Amino acid sequence: MIRHKLVAVVGSGALAVALAACGSSNSSGGNGASSGGTGSPWILGTTDTVTALDPAGSYDLGSSTLEYNLYQTLVTVPPNSTKIVGDAAKSCTYDDPKTLTCKLSPGEKFSNGDALTSADVKYSFERSIKIQDANGAAIYLLGSITSTAKDGTVTLNKGAIETPDDQTVVFHLDHPDTTFQYVLTYPGAAAIVDQDVFPADKKLADEKIIGSGPYKLDQYKSADQAVLSLNTNYTGPNPGKTGQVFVKYYSDPTALALAAKNGEVDVAWRSLAPSDIANLKQDSNLTVANGKGSEIRYWVWNVGEGVGKQLAVRQAAAQVFDREAIAKNAYDGTVDPLYSIVPPGYGGHQDSFKTTYGSPDVAKAKQILQKAGIKTPVNLTVGWTPTHYGPSTEDEANEVQRQLESGGLFKVTLKSTEWEQYQTIYKQGAYDLWILGWFPDYPDGDDYLSPFMVDGGFFQNGYKNPQVDKLVAQEQGTSDQAKRQQTFGQLQDIAAKDVPFIPSWVGQNTAVYGQGMSGVETTLDPSFIFRFWLVTKKS
Amino acid sequence: MARAGSGSLPRYILQRILLVIPMIWVILTVVFIVLRVAPGDPVSAALGGKLNAQALEQRREALGFNRPLIAQYWDYVSSVVHLDFGTTFSDNQPVLRVVRDNGGATLTLTFAAFVVALLVGIPLGLLAGRFRDSLPDVVIRLFGILSYAAPVFFVGFLLQLYVAGPLGLPTSGDATPITVFQVQPKTHILLLDALLSGNGAAIEDVLKHLVLPATTLGLLICGIFIRLVRVNMLQTMQADYVEAAEARGISGGKVTWRHGFRNALVPVITVVGLQFALLLGGAVLTEPTFNWPGIGSKLVFYINNRDYGAVQGIITIFALAVVLISVLIDIVNALIDPRVRF
Repeated sequence: MIRHKLVAVVGSGALAVALAACGSSNSSGGNGASSGGTGSPWILGTTDTVTALDPAGSYDLGSSTLEYNLYQTLVTVPPNSTKIVGDAAKSCTYDDPKTLTCKLSPGEKFSNGDALTSADVKYSFERSIKIQDANGAAIYLLGSITSTAKDGTVTLNKGAIETPDDQTVVFHLDHPDTTFQYVLTYPGAAAIVDQDVFPADKKLADEKIIGSGPYKLDQYKSADQAVLSLNTNYTGPNPGKTGQVFVKYYSDPTALALAAKNGEVDVAWRSLAPSDIANLKQDSNLTVANGKGSEIRYWVWNVGEGVGKQLAVRQAAAQVFDREAIAKNAYDGTVDPLYSIVPPGYGGHQDSFKTTYGSPDVAKAKQILQKAGIKTPVNLTVGWTPTHYGPSTEDEANEVQRQLESGGLFKVTLKSTEWEQYQTIYKQGAYDLWILGWFPDYPDGDDYLSPFMVDGGFFQNGYKNPQVDKLVAQEQGTSDQAKRQQTFGQLQDIAAKDVPFIPSWVGQNTAVYGQGMSGVETTLDPSFIFRFWLVTKKS
Repeated sequence: MARAGSGSLPRYILQRILLVIPMIWVILTVVFIVLRVAPGDPVSAALGGKLNAQALEQRREALGFNRPLIAQYWDYVSSVVHLDFGTTFSDNQPVLRVVRDNGGATLTLTFAAFVVALLVGIPLGLLAGRFRDSLPDVVIRLFGILSYAAPVFFVGFLLQLYVAGPLGLPTSGDATPITVFQVQPKTHILLLDALLSGNGAAIEDVLKHLVLPATTLGLLICGIFIRLVRVNMLQTMQADYVEAAEARGISGGKVTWRHGFRNALVPVITVVGLQFALLLGGAVLTEPTFNWPGIGSKLVFYINNRDYGAVQGIITIFALAVVLISVLIDIVNALIDPRVRF
């Protein structure tokens, strides 16, 4: 080992020509280590990218991973739960389906010592909407308190947010919307910022942000690393245990896997390839932890034109679709079969496609087509992209082709193109069936139903069903969870019957961690919130 | 400094510098057009999987991507003239700051790669030239071809898999996160900052992180040096003055060192500068492989995100660096090489 080190140092020395003599190794440089917490500092490696640390400019997982730890929202979701609990607020309750009142916990402070009041909450929403950054979530998720002009300008509805006193915030929604409380859990739309620090009309530079979360930001180098330390002013329900947390960003999943293997990071989280996970599982120094996930893949039918217009074609394809085989053959078992667009773990989930179609069955599919008088083989153009959903997408596309063609009912032409082109041409009808993915904005079944089933979905596949529109309005307009979940069930059944899309799989929330780490499993849940406050490393 | 039958050196330098302006303009224009012709834009790259076409269109409108191309082009060129490269769309960073923060890492990597290339390429080239058509010559020539032809990311991956472990070398980044945090960024070149801090552990850490990426990139151009030095060595060793030295009874080693080696190195000095562009290109491939936080990694990230402003800014600065170094080499050549006329 000593020899290895010597070789490395000698090699290094050869590279650095004309280096001055090394100085004392005890000097700590400019940034001192932060104190506090019981565990050793630990390093999280991730391939996620950060768009912005100012909540007004972010709508992505990489940003929200840090934001969940740096800011508070009014309400949040505990691990492995979709039940909303207080964060900066003691409580948020619907006075009626259009009025939500939140009471702040007393004594809340930002990491700079400023008091957190209802004025900060109101200011946070107002500025996000005023800035209306294209990368920000506020203008997309706060539709219940905003109006959008024809030119796309979004404005906060007059009187939408009231602050009767320092501790109370009242939201007046323009239509009954019980999903609004879930939006309040998402920092990209609802993180609370200090009105004395954040400008009202532009984003704050990442390294200057101040929040009231369990951790505060000590250093941020875009796409390189972030350093967080305990926020000593934090009085909320989730105090951190570790004095310092490092987040190291990787551009390539394989590089992250190698770093995990070499012990360069303590936890490697997300986007690891199935083959890398399989490899890391063999390493006795590492633990591969899996939690339930919420990232899904699904195949969308072009319902508006072509062969996908015929219900029997869509149903026949759903009848032969073998999710178990996709999970096994394309993803080495690192994903779970998905039998509804709403993944398991979400209130109201039911396996409607399994109930409707049972096991894959070519004979039944043949019957469906024959009954509708459709000649076989049905020609299908199936699209996929190699540049957005990872390398295994190609394996999935090939597996789907094999399944559809296996009984001679379909003749599949696979077509692929780069993501930028892909998302333009699928909307133009280039494919009969194409693959897409989804990652939830907030932990509620509605986020998997309304964006997919109302008015042809965001992917504009031409599907319209007035009953769906009615049911979605119904579930959004009631705060009775039992009724909402019942409606979710009806919507999933309709999806299985009409087949505007075929759910394929739901990803697991996978992390790989080294020795001495604890608490990683606890935070791996469908919300994909990586709660730094739950994770420690042995001193 | 003027030479007989030619113009003045200051005029030559001025001409070369003035030529930089149209060169940069052409590069700016080509980059602008290529980015617009390629499918996609920053809005669809960031939000295409989330929003419907109408919402995407509204965002494009708000950001000015729907304005006439000529108007966008004019704004872009005007801001570049004022050295305003704007802010990146995909990660909210001023472009010049991206260059400042990441340029140091790329500079460190390219410099170290040069050192590797020179340390490996020149001795091997000399050896191959001195022992022409022998086994070492064949092996070295083969090594030179392979190192130049092998994809950088593949070589990097092999080193990560088979060299990093046994030698205890890190496979990613330019230092551990703790070192990056502790070293005060004075020059924004981590190695220099570590040296200035006098922190021995930090210096060792930075150097250890540099070994594999620098070796990978260095091998790319060491093949060029091997071939160049070998050919020069062969030519030099056949020169009359070498024959004369041998005839005077000077030992073989001295002839090789004093007459062969020194003269064979002269063209290498000229070529060294020209390899800069190749190294920058190689850095774009090497940096993502080793998660090296340089400007090449950032460029790949911004291209994937169709971040017009960032890509335009970085490529302009890349181009400026290459053009300025080319001009510098021309000027140095003009000063030291009597055959250059101006």
